[in-house]
Amino acid sequence: MKTCIRIDCLSKVFSDNGRTVNALDGFQLDVMDGEFVCLLGPSGCGKTTVLRIVAGLESKTSGDVAVYGRPVQSSGPERGMVFQEFALFPWRTVRRNIEFGLEVKGLPEEKRAKISRSLIELVGLKGFEDTHPKELSGGMKQRVGIARALANDPAVLLMDEPFGSLDAQTRNLMQRELLRIWQATKKTILFVTHSVDEAVFLADRIVVMTARPGKVREIIEVGVPRPRDRTSKEFISVRGKVLAELDEEFEKARAKEISPD
Amino acid sequence: MIRMQKIMKILRNVILQNWKQVLLSGASLVLLVTVWWLYSALLHGDWPFEGRERVDFAEYVPYPWVVVQVFIDSFQHQDASGLYMGEHVVASLKRISTGFVLALAVAVPAGLLMGRSKAAHAVGSPIVELLRPIPPLAWVPIFLVVFKFFWGPILIVFLGIVFPILLNVRLGARSVDPVLIDAARTLGARRSQIFLKVVFPYTIPYLMTGIKVGLGIGWMCIVAAEMLGAVGGGVGYYIFLTAGSSLYTKMYAGIVTIGLLSVLTTGVAGLFERWINKWMGTR
Repeated sequence: MKTCIRIDCLSKVFSDNGRTVNALDGFQLDVMDGEFVCLLGPSGCGKTTVLRIVAGLESKTSGDVAVYGRPVQSSGPERGMVFQEFALFPWRTVRRNIEFGLEVKGLPEEKRAKISRSLIELVGLKGFEDTHPKELSGGMKQRVGIARALANDPAVLLMDEPFGSLDAQTRNLMQRELLRIWQATKKTILFVTHSVDEAVFLADRIVVMTARPGKVREIIEVGVPRPRDRTSKEFISVRGKVLAELDEEFEKARAKEISPD
Repeated sequence: MIRMQKIMKILRNVILQNWKQVLLSGASLVLLVTVWWLYSALLHGDWPFEGRERVDFAEYVPYPWVVVQVFIDSFQHQDASGLYMGEHVVASLKRISTGFVLALAVAVPAGLLMGRSKAAHAVGSPIVELLRPIPPLAWVPIFLVVFKFFWGPILIVFLGIVFPILLNVRLGARSVDPVLIDAARTLGARRSQIFLKVVFPYTIPYLMTGIKVGLGIGWMCIVAAEMLGAVGGGVGYYIFLTAGSSLYTKMYAGIVTIGLLSVLTTGVAGLFERWINKWMGTR
């Protein structure tokens, strides 16, 4: 199997007014072509930073990041991103939000319309083409976010806690929807979450990160056949394993907070 | 005809739905006119202040109804400069519109740049902050000498309008949600495209606020702009001319005209704002 995203010895130091924070220290991960990988870790462990560096929105301090062997220098349409805050353009309708990437690429109107029509169908937004984001529910907004990222036909979908602001029911529904879309489009997905349940439900592999400075603590192969049943024995056993790893990191992070260094 | 009926129906609905506000606004206008009338009566020694002596500057504050009469009259009879009020109104409207268009052309690009680029901000800020507090009146002598009676008054008005628009657009450009720019970048947008398709649309509501404030200030500058004369007259010119000839009722008619014109232009800007918000789906 081909490697899609290769992250090698990635480090990131943030400095702000002379104060420096080691966000990432030697983060290492290979994501295979078509794989669904979740990044999981205590808050502030730098999982979003990993994603933003892969997206090209953040610079790295050292290390190498490559997608299909090509080093990541800046953002580009071959790496689509979905944001927790949805980040939809409020003045654009659903259709015109989805077509944004195609528009800046200079695609003619008919081609844009054709692509957006099929994506609207794929994510289940039929009938809402001419609606503005403000009139949509959170789940619907994120459907637009996903469709918009897919419009460029990216190799990789980077998702930063995309369902973090949704209620529990909508969240479960969107997880199933995402798996359906993933199976239909065969994209490689790197997905940041802080929900163990979400990670076990979605991922092929779960990367548990250490507390800051973030690196890989453990990579857990989920191995439960899909569709997964959250109440099944295998599901609960994987969940328990991930939770145990995470709890230990959480305790470490807390101990550090109480007595820094 | 059907269209007219439709407009009347919408207007009726608006009034019916907001009758409390309409009533209060009406009451506030009545209060204003009442205070004016009472002050006038006080100076003239008329009812309800009979017995008081007429003050010698009473002519400076004529009664409201006299001003209304003169206001209507000024549209029907020429003044000392041979112009009707209608012509002054048109001249001032043209002046404000030209100044407004110039102000937009300068303030929008400058505000966007200063809001998004540190270098542009460093270059632009000293100029803006130094020029902004200078009352447009102070420029009148120089402007009329340098730019003459056609462009001079227009540029005075321009100075009044340009800063509120510029500052609002700059504020809007600064407050663009960074996640929207991140999104545009990951979708493949280049810098210029982000500017055009994200930053500019984001600032439009701010721009509309700037326009409304700017138009009001534009009218505040019109007397200064036209006071030493302007090509084709103008309401400000009319006020200055009549005040200079001690024709105070006429002067007040001019003042009322400016008030009404300002209400009209800000009202039109407000309607345009509502239409734009609806079109952009932001309200």
